[in-house]
Formats: sequence, C-alpha cells, structure tokens
Amino acid sequence: MKTIMKKFTPMFFALLFMLTGRTVSAQSGTGGGDYEADLQGYWRNPLYEDNRDRGEGPYIGDYLGLPLNEAALRAAEAWDPTILSLEERQCNDYAADYAAHSIGDQAIWREADPFTNKTIAWRLRLSWMGGQRTIWMDGRPHPPDGAPHTWLGFSTGEWVGPTLVVTTTHLKNTWLRRNGVPRSDKAYVVQYFTRLGNILTIVDHIYDSVYLTEPLVRSSDYILNPAGRMGTFVCETVEEAPRDLGVVPHYLPGENPSLFEFFEVFDLPVEVMQDGADMLYPEYLDRLEQIRAD
Amino acid sequence: MRSIGLPRHHLCFCMCFFLSTLSIAQLPQDEPDSRSAREMAPVDLSGTWTSVIAEDWRYRMVTPPAGELQGLPLNEAAQEIMNAWNPEADEAAGLACKAYGAPNLMRLPGRARITWEDDSTLKIEYDNGDQTRLIHFEQMPSANIQRSWQGYSHAQWVRETTIARGIGFGGVGGGIGEITGPLQINTTHLREGYLRKNGVPYSENAELTEYIVWRRDTVTGDEWFSLISAIDDPQYLRGLYIRSSEFRKETDDAMWSPRPCSAR
Repeated sequence: MKTIMKKFTPMFFALLFMLTGRTVSAQSGTGGGDYEADLQGYWRNPLYEDNRDRGEGPYIGDYLGLPLNEAALRAAEAWDPTILSLEERQCNDYAADYAAHSIGDQAIWREADPFTNKTIAWRLRLSWMGGQRTIWMDGRPHPPDGAPHTWLGFSTGEWVGPTLVVTTTHLKNTWLRRNGVPRSDKAYVVQYFTRLGNILTIVDHIYDSVYLTEPLVRSSDYILNPAGRMGTFVCETVEEAPRDLGVVPHYLPGENPSLFEFFEVFDLPVEVMQDGADMLYPEYLDRLEQIRAD
Repeated sequence: MRSIGLPRHHLCFCMCFFLSTLSIAQLPQDEPDSRSAREMAPVDLSGTWTSVIAEDWRYRMVTPPAGELQGLPLNEAAQEIMNAWNPEADEAAGLACKAYGAPNLMRLPGRARITWEDDSTLKIEYDNGDQTRLIHFEQMPSANIQRSWQGYSHAQWVRETTIARGIGFGGVGGGIGEITGPLQINTTHLREGYLRKNGVPYSENAELTEYIVWRRDTVTGDEWFSLISAIDDPQYLRGLYIRSSEFRKETDDAMWSPRPCSAR
C-alpha cells in the first residue's frame, strides 16, 4: 500500500494541477470571470474635483449638486460645525462612501488564501483618519439587517470586466458633505473601482431612501504613487471648548445664521438650495436663466 | 534510451508540471484583428446620454468668478492669462466657444448623442455649444490637419491586462490575460481654449487622453459611463489634470436641446 501511495501521489498532484489550470487568453466583452486587475499600490488623491468640499471644507448651505429631499435640507440646516469639537466625535472615522470622495490617499493591497492564492479580500487603508476597509471577495454573504453598523460598513466585491464592483451595507449615519448634509444608516453604496494605467477611478452610487430622491453618483480619481508610504494616523481627543455636560451644538429651524452666506459670497440665487435633483441635469441651465431674469 | 536518473512516475510528474505551467507563460498574442472598431466594441455606446452634475457644480452649471482657480494645477503663466479673462472680448473676437473645446466640452452640462458615423468612426454630438466630435479608430492625424475646438481624436478599445492568480511555486494555473474594455481617446491638434468658463487656459499643444468606462447600475439597471479625462499641457499645467464626469443613458432624444456657445 505504501509503495502504491509513493508511486501515485505525485501523479495525482500533477493531474490536479492540470485540471485546475486555467486557460490564459484574450477575452472580449465585459465579463471577467476569475480575472482581476491589479489595484495594489499607494494611490495619491489630487483633489482636482470638489476641491473645497473635500479639502478646507464647504460653506454652510452649499448643497449644490446633491439630490436632497426636504428631510435632508432640514437636517443640514440644523447642523452646527462645532459639534465636531465634542470629545466623543473628534476621532470619528470617515465612512466608506465619504472617504472615497474626501481628502487623503489610499493604500490598497490584496489578501490571498495561502494555499490556493485566490484573492480573499482587498484591503484599503485611508491616510486621513486611518480607517481600514476590507472588501471581501470570497463570496461570503452580507450580515443580517440587525448586525452592528460601522463607519466603513461591510463590503463585498466582484469583478465585472476590468471593474471591481463593491457593495457596502451596514454603514453608520454620516454626512454626504462635510457641512452636515446627512446620509442615513439605511443607505447602501455600490462602488466601481477601475484602474486605467496609473489612474484609479472610484465611482460611488449612494442609495439612501431617507435623504435622497435619487441615487447620488459621484467619482473620484487617484494617481499611482510608487514612492508613497502610508503613515500612522493617531487621533487623541482633547477638550476643545468648555461646555456643559450633555450639550449638543445645533440650530433650531430658521436660526442658522450662516445658511445663506454661501449664496452671497458667490452671487448665486438662494432658490437653488431647494431644487434638489433638478439641479443635476442640463435643463437646469434654463431654470437658472429664468431665476436670474425674474 | 538512456535514463536521466528519475523514476518513471517522477518523470511523469515533471512533464505534467511543465505542461501546466505553459499556460502561465502563454501571453496574449498580438494577432491582427480583422474586425472593425464597431464590431470589436464590447458595449454599445450608441444613444443619448445626459451629464449628471454632482461634482464641481459651481464651476460647471454657472460660470465661476474671475480668478477662481481652486483645485487646478496651474502654473504662473496660466494664472496671468486667467486674470486677464474678458468674456466680452472673447465674444467680440468670435471666440465664444473657447470653453467648448474637447478638453472641457463634456464637462459642461449637456447631452451627448453618440452614433457610428461609419464602422471606424464614432460621432459624439453635444447639445451644449452645439459641437460635434469625430472619434477615428483607423486614421492617424496627418501633419496638415487644421487645429479646431474639437481637435483630432484617435481611439482604441483598451485591452486591459488582468491577472489570474495561480497556486504554488510558479503560480500554477494562473497567468496573464486581457479583457477588451474601456474606450481610450487621444486628442491633439486643438485650438487653445479654456478648462473652465472663467478663462482657465489650455494651450494648442495640450494633449488630451480620455477613457469612456461603461457600467450598468447594479440596482436600477440604468446604463452609465464615466468620462475620465487627463490633460497634459506643460505650457500651463504643473502636472496631469484629471477629471471624471458621469453620464446616464436616456431612453430617447426628447431632452436634446442644442444651445450656442456662450462666453459668459
């Protein structure tokens, strides 16, 4: 028996290699099968789009380009930026959807099964706030609805042609823009990662029936930086302002003093603020002309 | 036959191992493809697509104030030109379309109507500015082509290199593959124009590389494409300027609404 084992074991493994070996060939169409692009590397965020929103921060009242409903506008109006000075909020992470369209670089690497070398997950580390995302590629299901929600949520991915399509659920409440425009914890996000040479584009489709009248679609571009190194992000809380225990900064309806400053600074009609998804489409040019004419 | 000193079953193992690893070394061949660009298209881009302005709204839907250059990698020469921006003078000189050249056209709010002019030429009409871009798959630009707002565009379907992970020493069962995917467009022979309507310049030597990346919304089923554009213009830019704009397919042409160029 031992002799037979000795004789056939190598042949068995060789045959196994043959049977599992995949044919390598050019493919057409958008179906990628088991193939995957290489997303690994350090990706620099040049902030060429929505620069102010993502960098120094947007004006209060700048809700332009967002398909918001009435509830979102009221929640945004109540927002007081000093809420971020509360010690329990100072080190809040950026959520998965906001992080992709915010400040900071990303490092991406692949985690492989040590035996099969199949991709188990893609890991993303964000330079700002240091969050680390996992995009599971092994087919595992999303947790049940009642599972805990986190800043980075639970993500699974699959390749569709040259694009990694990532679905994220179980996200915490956060903002869509850093001026209090809310995104609820009922929201889920589908992101499309496409690498073209040294450019990585991430397109977010954000679905939030609580605050959006249609999905918010926005994209962010990153540039490969082979010399980039991810540092450590340490956040420690301090008492930034004396405040009575339990006070949560906010504005009651109609009391936000900064709500219209943005429109004055940039000579924009205030009516735009209420127009929600209409303002996303080309025919809104006619509406703007009409407002100015009136 | 002289033995090489391996038992027969070990020799068999080596042969099988060698054959299986052949697939790793087998790179895609550059065989000439006789199909036309239209036949090779992995997706049908024909139809009318609306821009969805969820980013840089204040720079796209309205003309930003003079001198506003946030988010732009401009050098000093560009800033000088930008500071001298005079829309009335542009209109008087017949240059109202300076912001409607290929590097900025599809950044403006508008609809793109895409059709095949012939099997190797894609036509993109844009209603805002009433402009037409011709995307050539076969002809390369000749030396005596006149400069124009839309320049000369040459395209190819990108064949993306992909990786199939193998196992064990040498990555058995893995290898390199290719997928025909996005459309890459390279545009030269441009007239000098604006990257934003408030006079942010690009020179006539600017080179524009664009990618059209199609996708289907996994939730709504809508068709979308991202237009990723990278502008290289050492005369005015400190580095590659990259933007991505989103377009959603419409069911018909009902909202098609040509409007002339406006310098203001």
